[in-house]
Amino acid sequence: MDLEIKGLSKTYPGASVRALNDVSIRVPAGEFLVILGPSGAGKSTLLRCINRLVEPSEGKVFHNGAEITSANGDLRAIRRSFGMVFQQFNLVKRLSVLTNVLSGRLGHRSVLRSLAYSFPEADKRIAVECLARVNMDHKAFQRADTLSGGEQQRVAIARALAQQPQVILADEPVASLDPKIARQVLGYLRQAAQELGITVLCNLHQVDYAREFAERVVGMSRGAVVFEGPSSLLTDEVLHRIYYREPGEEAKEEQ
Amino acid sequence: MAVSATVDGVLAELAARKRWRLSHVAVAAVVVAFLAWCAEGAGLRPKELANALPAIGEYFYRMTPPKWEFSEVLWKPAVETLYIALWGNVIALLIGLPLGILAAGNVTRSALVRNSAKAVLNLLRSISELIWAVFFVAAVGLGPFPGALALGVNFGGILGRLYAEALENIDPGPVEALEATGASRLQVIAYAMLPQALPQFVTFNLYWFEVGVRSATVLGMVGAGGIGFELVTTIRLFEWRETGVVLLLILAMVTIIDMASTWIRSKIY
Amino acid sequence: MSAPTFDAVVAATLAQESQRRMRRSTHALIWGVAVVAVLWFTAAQIGLNPLALAKGLPFMADFFSRMFPPDLAHLGLLGDVTVETIQIAVWGTLIAIVLSIPLALLGAKNTTPHPIVFHATRMLLNALRAINELVFALIFVAAVGLGPFAGVLAIALHATGMLAKFCAEELEGVDRGPVEAVQATGAGRMQVILFGMIPQVIPAFISYSIYRFDVSIRAATILGLVGAGGLGFSLIKTMKLFKYHETATCILVIFVLVFVSDWACSRIRAKIL
Repeated sequence: MDLEIKGLSKTYPGASVRALNDVSIRVPAGEFLVILGPSGAGKSTLLRCINRLVEPSEGKVFHNGAEITSANGDLRAIRRSFGMVFQQFNLVKRLSVLTNVLSGRLGHRSVLRSLAYSFPEADKRIAVECLARVNMDHKAFQRADTLSGGEQQRVAIARALAQQPQVILADEPVASLDPKIARQVLGYLRQAAQELGITVLCNLHQVDYAREFAERVVGMSRGAVVFEGPSSLLTDEVLHRIYYREPGEEAKEEQ
Repeated sequence: MAVSATVDGVLAELAARKRWRLSHVAVAAVVVAFLAWCAEGAGLRPKELANALPAIGEYFYRMTPPKWEFSEVLWKPAVETLYIALWGNVIALLIGLPLGILAAGNVTRSALVRNSAKAVLNLLRSISELIWAVFFVAAVGLGPFPGALALGVNFGGILGRLYAEALENIDPGPVEALEATGASRLQVIAYAMLPQALPQFVTFNLYWFEVGVRSATVLGMVGAGGIGFELVTTIRLFEWRETGVVLLLILAMVTIIDMASTWIRSKIY
Repeated sequence: MSAPTFDAVVAATLAQESQRRMRRSTHALIWGVAVVAVLWFTAAQIGLNPLALAKGLPFMADFFSRMFPPDLAHLGLLGDVTVETIQIAVWGTLIAIVLSIPLALLGAKNTTPHPIVFHATRMLLNALRAINELVFALIFVAAVGLGPFAGVLAIALHATGMLAKFCAEELEGVDRGPVEAVQATGAGRMQVILFGMIPQVIPAFISYSIYRFDVSIRAATILGLVGAGGLGFSLIKTMKLFKYHETATCILVIFVLVFVSDWACSRIRAKIL
């Protein structure tokens, strides 16, 4: 049940620099992996290439041995296994918390039934259980835009959990939250993932959080991987490589 | 287990919220009854509806192929329609701007002046431009002039109210700041209020010019100029192929104005 | 090289400012002349004549005097027609709401299934918007006969064009974040539209529909001029019979109806937004 990224590259049309430069990572099942790096390092592009919100220019991604980057893959089935949490929370503001979480089940449901905005009982149970996991079940019927930032992100995590995914892709989930709330949100994410055996790829730019929550860290700078290892190995020299690398420096880092 | 109890609790509440309560059913019944009554009064019967579509289709079919030669006669009235819309908007601006400024809550201190301005604006806008056109034709005779006046008066009321609302919605900050410098009332209006509302004014005028063109196409029905006269005549004389040409010409005019308006808007913002 | 003195900086800026003023003034002058020229020309073409208006005011005054005072006894007869006017507006707007939803989905760049469908829909909507309700009413009266039915159809078609185009533009302008999020769950295209896009546009759609109802009431009051039902018919009838006092009553009722409708719709729309 692991994820393998081989030689992934991405150049956006009209851009002169590569957003992703030959990235190769292997993530064992159930790991909480933090991808650490400054903004513009390509972390967001990397995650989006995995669930194909962005199509990679080169390279392949394998999940459980099956290639998911090929154009023939069933996109819905792929995305079902990958839950995504966004920096801007991206809840539908006018819908209730519960409906937002229920929309995580859409990948499993037929289009016809969705037309009536109705879900089977089993889905409703799953949704409420996921809300309970992040302690937001008491606000199930409130409109999403009445919640605070941290609460909204917890609901977003519940939405991802509702997909019953194998992997959660978290793209800077706490960048807009202050430290105490951020730690709380990351805590919920890690706990739920551990309890349910979900692999997490979490983009962060804050070193402290990486140290606190990561089992392993991948450091990225300017589209390339410059470090891979446990957070204990995040020395000043490594951090300099991640955050202060000039363009043109070689990306010759050992795995 | 505690978690399960919470989950069951939420699910139970969800079920309760979804149940069809008596109040819902009552409201639904009233709405349906109201709509049925309206349908009866408006002459909407299923049989008529079923016959209507083919009948309308047949009439549009009679308009094809359009008699293109007829357009020779239409150029002058078509252009006249545009002129009516243009001057209608100018007159509307001249009437609506002062009245709108007077009717704005934050501009005019005197409630009497404000409410009088509002009353005049309401009078102007509530009476359709066609009815105004009838009056103005009685005053100055047939032709495009009464049409422009009618459009100007009616739209003056509409624009005036929009101007007033835009002025009432401006940011009070700059106004306060200017008042603090000791500027006179008129100076505050001119330098702090109007400049803020100006972009909105322009948007309103562009939009209503478009509406004005559409409205001007029917003023000819009561003798107030524009292509409306040709339109009504061709329909009354059952000259369907000519009617088709008039409709296409109106469509072309409005489309061009729409595109020009979009272009202008993109240049401003 | 010494730093520029304070006076030098001020002088330089003032010089720049007067240059820009000159440029702006010349631009304004050119535009001003162009606008005045256009207005002058068009004024001549349509026979704009303030003097004629001044001379015509006595005629208007005469007209008004023949209408004043309004014959209030006539009010009783107008009850049915007023109700009919409202009923026409209700169903015209309702049909427009129902038809505009699918048309909006087809006519918005991010929800349309195919570019050809998109352009065809946009053309259809432009056609519906370009043609006044009155013009539609004229044609429909010929097609389906006199009476309110033609009026309902006329209002419905024009309002559909306006409502659908508005809704399409709203759909094109939704926040992309939530849409992306729903896509990422593996939802199909239709589900993304239902759960990510439509909830975002509902308040604006409802508000504009209510506005359209207000406009429909206005339109319904004059459709009678061409025989499509409503107060307009009483208006033209009393005018043709020279019963100007009753015409005044009609105008009064129209005014009240439009005023009340406007007031009510504004209140409701304020509550929604």
